[in-house]
Order: sequence, then structure tokens, then C-alpha cells
Amino acid sequence: MTAAGATRTAAEAARAAGTPPGPPTAAPAASAAATGLVPAGDFDAVVVGAGPAGSAAALVLARSGKRVCLLERGPYPGSKNMYGGVVYPRILDGLLLDWWEDAPVQRWVTRRATMTLTDDQALTIDFRTESWGRPPYNGATALRPEFDAWLAAKAVDAGAVLVTSTTATGLLRDRPGGAVTGVSTDRPDGDLRAGIVVACDGVNSFLAKQAGLHGPVDPANYTLGAKEVLAVPARTIEERFGLGPDQGADFEIIGCTGAIPGGGFLYTNRDSLAIGVVLHLPALATAGVRPEELIAGLKAHPAVAPLVAGGELVEYSAHLIPEGGYDMMPALAGAGILVAGDAAAMCLAAGIWLEGVNFAIASGMAAGEAAAAALAAGDVSERGLAGYRRRLQDSFVLQDHRRLRHAPHLLLSERVQQRYPQLACDIVEDLFTVTNPEPKPGMRRLVRRQVTASGVRLRDLAADTWRALRTFG
Amino acid sequence: MSAGAVGSPGAPGTPTAARTAAGTSAGAGIAAPAARSTPAATAGGPGATLPVAFEDRMATVDFRVSPQAHITVDGDACRGCTTRACVTACPANLFVPTADGGILFNYEQCFECGTCYLVCDTAGAVTWRYPEGGHGVAYRRS
Amino acid sequence: MSTAPPGSGDPDTATGSDEPQSPGPDDPGAALGPILVCRRWVDLRPSVDPLTGAVGNDPRTSGASAADDAALEWALQAAEAWGTSVVAVTVGPPGSQAVLRDALAAGAARAIQVDLGSSGDAASVAAEITAVARALTARMVLCGDMGVDRGSGAVPALVAAAMGARQALGLVDLAIDPTEPGVVTGWRRLDGGRRQHLRAQAPFVASVEGVSTRLRRASLVGVLRSGGAPIEVVVPAGPTGGRVPSWMPASTGPGRPRTHVVDGPNPHEPAWRRVILLTGAGTDRPALRVVHAEPVDAAHQLIAALADWGEWE
Repeated sequence: MTAAGATRTAAEAARAAGTPPGPPTAAPAASAAATGLVPAGDFDAVVVGAGPAGSAAALVLARSGKRVCLLERGPYPGSKNMYGGVVYPRILDGLLLDWWEDAPVQRWVTRRATMTLTDDQALTIDFRTESWGRPPYNGATALRPEFDAWLAAKAVDAGAVLVTSTTATGLLRDRPGGAVTGVSTDRPDGDLRAGIVVACDGVNSFLAKQAGLHGPVDPANYTLGAKEVLAVPARTIEERFGLGPDQGADFEIIGCTGAIPGGGFLYTNRDSLAIGVVLHLPALATAGVRPEELIAGLKAHPAVAPLVAGGELVEYSAHLIPEGGYDMMPALAGAGILVAGDAAAMCLAAGIWLEGVNFAIASGMAAGEAAAAALAAGDVSERGLAGYRRRLQDSFVLQDHRRLRHAPHLLLSERVQQRYPQLACDIVEDLFTVTNPEPKPGMRRLVRRQVTASGVRLRDLAADTWRALRTFG
Repeated sequence: MSAGAVGSPGAPGTPTAARTAAGTSAGAGIAAPAARSTPAATAGGPGATLPVAFEDRMATVDFRVSPQAHITVDGDACRGCTTRACVTACPANLFVPTADGGILFNYEQCFECGTCYLVCDTAGAVTWRYPEGGHGVAYRRS
Repeated sequence: MSTAPPGSGDPDTATGSDEPQSPGPDDPGAALGPILVCRRWVDLRPSVDPLTGAVGNDPRTSGASAADDAALEWALQAAEAWGTSVVAVTVGPPGSQAVLRDALAAGAARAIQVDLGSSGDAASVAAEITAVARALTARMVLCGDMGVDRGSGAVPALVAAAMGARQALGLVDLAIDPTEPGVVTGWRRLDGGRRQHLRAQAPFVASVEGVSTRLRRASLVGVLRSGGAPIEVVVPAGPTGGRVPSWMPASTGPGRPRTHVVDGPNPHEPAWRRVILLTGAGTDRPALRVVHAEPVDAAHQLIAALADWGEWE
């Protein structure tokens, strides 16, 4: 290092920096204050959790001119988040113009299949349409660490202040039992005061529980999702699933979880597959089978194995799903607090429909709008925040949940889980088995024979059919 | 019936030692349902993906381990427990029964899902909170 | 500071390259200057393609290493003890501002990013850091001892050489005495489980291992302030003239000594003689030589001896 070099670099440094790097101020505190940023506590709203619900809420609040802090306990948004793999982002039409231009999408789902498995049979209903592969699209596979970070960045662009690596540890109130006035965090001097708190802190939502908005917690309202991401080359995926370069497939699977009510899934990412199981917690607790064993069993099924062959495990993950539906939802608002997304159990797990991110975004948007309106009106009491529930009732969020409120019980019932997959597969097997020289049996006789063999009483079958029609009709 | 049924051969990714310990210490209460009918034990046919050892499975996940544990287990409460739901339900296999009837737990490779405290039927035996901000699991490809 | 490690007696004085060992009489207190702490943005969990060996870098898993964080913590403790401030500097692309924000959140007063592009070899990085230190009149520089990406580890030594400062490198523990501004006492590993106990007075460059301490958790106020705090960006005019001193190896690759041609034993010699020739048993060796020398001179003598033996080109 020569003296001449140093001088030149230093001069260059001074020019580029605009301010000469002279001797710094002696007191660090004075220098920090000189940065002129908002002091902590000076927020209109705190949104806890930078998942889809939280980022949507923060985005709406920031757009309406509110000073909003978006708290995230992970090192980056999406780092704690995992799901099956498909997001239905049409809800973003009302939030972000041409969102599909830069959304981190893996593949656009153009093929949906529902597989019913027994030990050595598979019955698949398979549908595909090219129209889902064009704007405005329908569903997409996406990685949550990418998708959530993207949506959070949109909130930051709108003016929200994102604080990562910070866990909200509790609620602050104006007096014991009074209105919520902020959250405490696990950082030193970590109290964050604000006019309103939007709790989007996920399925375990300790904040909503602390606020007393949740009833007693019942494990029967939850399922555990566990999945493997398997690296498979993009070309191989397209060949195996019959897809174009940006097209994806979405397989929902029933009958692959042994004695545990639940289901399985298989989704295509760009150059990986997501395969996993969803397991009802009370049965998982007593079944003595480990989640990864069930995934291994699913991967080994003759109908699935060729699809995932050679896939190298690149990430294993697990997360709880609030599957209880409408009947397990907490009170959605309290004085100074709103609850959205998984924290409010806004996750639709109704058999053929498995949706969560869209409900999270929609509920987050509604929470943001309701919070902004309440702040503008100066009334964040429970009554002042009643607009949140009204907004949700007017949208698909609560309408879908209310209509399908009985679906979880029906779908997790013993007959749907254990008997009907076998029955359906046996009927179809009989139907297509050529029994020459015997003549083909009539359809009606064939069904009756199999129903009898399966041990399902016709009365139960009729009742379940009626319940299904009422639930989904 | 206990040890034989629990350590069913060939279940991929199963830490045999831990599972055998469960059977010997807790007896039939755990062992009975483990004689299962899932096809897991037959994994590894032609074209199937290779079974992955549990340690390798967990090594695919990024954990930023905090010096403070965010799980605590009340060993006395566990000694009276016969269901031991946490042992098989935890997707990260963090709970291991010990020979003296207690539960040994790890917190380092926790997915932070919450299954353990929800399946636990002894109130207060497992306390669980979120780890310190910035620590714990950090998914990249899920 | 915990208990002193075993083997700590009177501390050695850290060696400086060209400054006198005795501190100047005009030193203490006010003329201390800020503490410069060097940080490096690096992927802590890089992915390696098993086929091509290409290393993928992900900003989400990038940050400062444990060693860099430990250096920051020691710098903050020293600044609090001595009533001065901490300036964080990084030489790297714009993404590396993340590690400066972490430093600002934890309590650093200023942050400087030198945008050197991709041409950041150890000598250029050291030259830029030295330039910043000179401009700030910083006389104390703290670094992490080694990047997690297996960098050369030479930057602290090169900065010390360029600044004409003492160096205390690879410390596993530090003691900071509020009554002695500008003086650090440290311990570092030696072979055989021994520790060297040394003491350095400003100007010094110290590097610490990641195990030496843990960075404090930044306060919420600090984090909120750091988010929009200004970061001074320095763009050098071009490839800088960071020059490696003649006595340092220019390459940091593995050492590959030349092969020696060894004549085979004469088949006419008796067997015992051939064994002696092959093993070198019983031959005269150069007597053990004890040399007292200044560090630079010592390095020259070592190199000369290695060249003599054919181990150095």
C-alpha cells in the first residue's frame, strides 16, 4: 500500500460519498439520532407476521397513508412458512396491477388430478385446460420463502417498515384487560406501541390466544402437513406429467395415510417436486407412525413412484394447518386488535379445494382496510373494528367457509377415509375387468356387490351422499 | 410384542434405536398400533427414490440455532405418561424416550410447527414458544 | 472477561512492522480516534452444484460471519469503555450494506461501503480499508479472523502492514480496560494447546475468532433507526494499487515444493551403508541456529533458509 494510493482512494472516497469521511462525532447516540428516523412506538399500526396476510394488511395500510410496522420473526419473510405448494393469486388483481409479471411463480397449474389410492390400486380423475396457463391465470406453484418475500417487498415499497428477526412476545394494553395498544418484542427496549395491532402470526397465533379471541384449543381442529421437496430436472418433470415449459400439475391424493385421516399431495415446481401428507393430529398422536414414513409409503406407491423416481431430497419441512374451518375461527376483532390469515383459521381444507394463501391475502386486505378506516375514525374499539367482519362476510372468505363448514368433519370421517377409496377402486376394477367367458355384469349389480363386500351399509352411503350434496352443493 | 412390532424392518428414515427404546420402556401402549399396514416398510422398489437417513433428511433444512431452548419438557409429568404422542408425532423427531421413563428432547432442529404441545395430553408437560427472532428454522425451498 | 487461560504470564507485546514499540507520549484519551470494524458480506450457507462445482450465493442466507460479529461486539465494548465510537466498513457489492445495517442497529455510529466490484483480492481490500482508516484517523481496527468462504485471511495483516500498526491476530479472548484507552490484551492459540498472551496499544489491528464473544442483540430502536440510516458509499476510481509487501507470498494457494532428484544408492556399497545413505542416519546436520531479528528481517532469513533447502522458489 503506497501513500499515493491511499491519498487517491481517500479523495475518491470523499467525492463519492458526498461528505468527507472526517472524524466522526464522538457520541454514538447523537449520531444515531441524526439519522432522523421515526422513533419506536411512533406507528399507527403494527402488523405481526410478514406472511401473505400480514404483508397484504401492511400494504393496504401503507397505501392509505398510515405509518405501519411489519414485524417478522424469521430472518426474512417466508422463512418460517411452508405449505403444500399451490397459491391461487387472483385475489391480487385488486391489489397489484399485473402481479403475474414479477410474482415468483414456479409453474402455472394447468392440470389438476384427484387420486384415490389403495395398497395396489389408483383411481385418478384428471383434468387439464390450457386457459389456466394464460393471463389472468388460475393457480400457480410457488415457494413460500420467495412468494412471501416478494409480497412483503411490495408492502415495503408502499411505505411499510419491515423489521425482521424480531418475535412478538405479547400484547401491550392501556390497562390490564383493556384495549391492545401494541406488542412487546424479544429485543431490548422492544415495546412497540401503535394505534392498532393486526395479528397475522400464523396457525399457533399466541397473540390472538393472549387477546382471548380463541376458544379452548382442540387438536381435532388441526392437521400436520409434512412434505419433501425433491429435485428433478425441469425437462423430466415436463415429460412425466405431460406439461409445457411453464405449466404445472396439482395432484390431490386420498387413501395414502393408512389409519390416520388425512391426504396427500404432489405438486410440480420448476425443477423440483413437492410431495407430502396431511395428517389429522388426534389420530397421528395415537397411530405410532411417523410422518416421514407415510411420505415414504406414498412415494413407493406404484402409481406415484414413477412420477418421483430419482428425485433428490433438497428440503424437508412441516407445518400445522388450521383445518377446523368456520367453526374453529376465533373472534376476529377485539379492542385494538384484528386477526387474519391462519391465525384466524382462514384456511380452506375441503377435499377438492385446498386453499389458504388466497384467504390469507383477502383477510389481510380486509383487516388493513378495516384498520385504516377505524384509525381514520379514531375508534379502534371492538365496535369500531366491526367493519372487518362485515368485509369478510361480503367476500368469499367467510362465505366459502360458512358454506363448507361441515366439510372437514365429513372428509375426515372414517368411511370417507378408509372405506370409500377401497370401494371406488374395487367398483372400477370390476367394471374394467373382462370376465370372459362370463358376460359383463350390470352396473347396478356390480355396485351393490361391492358395497356389500366393503361392509358399508347402504343407509350410511346414502346419508354420506346426502351430506356431501348438502356440504358441497 | 413390543420391540419386534416397533422396530419393523426396513422402515426408511426411522431411527431404530429411538423407536426400540420407546417400545421397551413404554410397553404395549406404544407398540400395539405400530404394527401398521402402511406400505412404508416396502419402500425401495425399482424406480423409487432412495430412502434417506433421518439425519440426512434434517440436514437439508437450514436451522439457525439459538443458544436458548424454546421448548421445555416437564420430566416428572412425562414419567406418568402412557401415550407418548410427541415421540411419533413430532415431524422432526425431537422427542426421545429415556430408559427411566422420561423424555429426552432436542430443540435445535425444530420446525416450530406446534404439534408437540397440541398432541400432548398432559397439560403443561410440554411448553413451547417461538425461538428468539432470527433463529430457528429458515426454509428456502418449501 | 472470564478467567485467564492457562499459561498466561506477562503478556507479550504485539509486534508492529515499522513503528517503535514504545507508545508515543501524546497518545491517551482524546486522540484515540474511532474504532474501525471491518465486516464482510458472505453467504453463510452456500449451495454447491454437485456436478459443476459452481457455488450458488443467496442473499437470504448471506450475512456477517460469527467472527465478524464478534469483532463488532468487541469494538462496541471498547468504544463504550473508552468513550469513542465505532465505524463499520465493508468492501463489497451493494448487497453488503446489509451487514452495515446490522452494525448500525447494534450501535455503530457510521457505516461505509467501499464498492470495489468483483476485483476484491486481499491486497485491494486491505488498501481500501487502510484508506478509510486514514481518512477517519482511526488507529484501531478490528476484524473477524477468517471469512467462512475460506478467504486468504490476509486482510488484517495487510492492513496492519499498510497502517504501520501493531497486529494481534486470531484472538480467542480479549480484555478491555476502561482505564487504559487504546490498549487491548488478548489471548491466541498456539500449537500444543498453549495460549499466547499479548498486549497491543493503538495503533493496532486485531482480529478475533467467532468463539471469542457473541454479538449483542440489537435494540428495537436501533433496528428501526438502522433501516433508513445513511450509508456512505465509496466508489474507487478503478482497480486499486493495493500492493502485497515483498515478504508476503503473492499467492495463497497450497504450497507445492519442487520435487528433488535423489540419486539411487550405489549397488556396490554394502547394505548397511545403503541404509544409512537412504535414511540419512548418522550424517552431520547443520547446527541449530538461534537468530535474534526484527520481524521483517526474520521473515527474510526464513525465506532465505527455505530457498537454501530448495523449499522456496
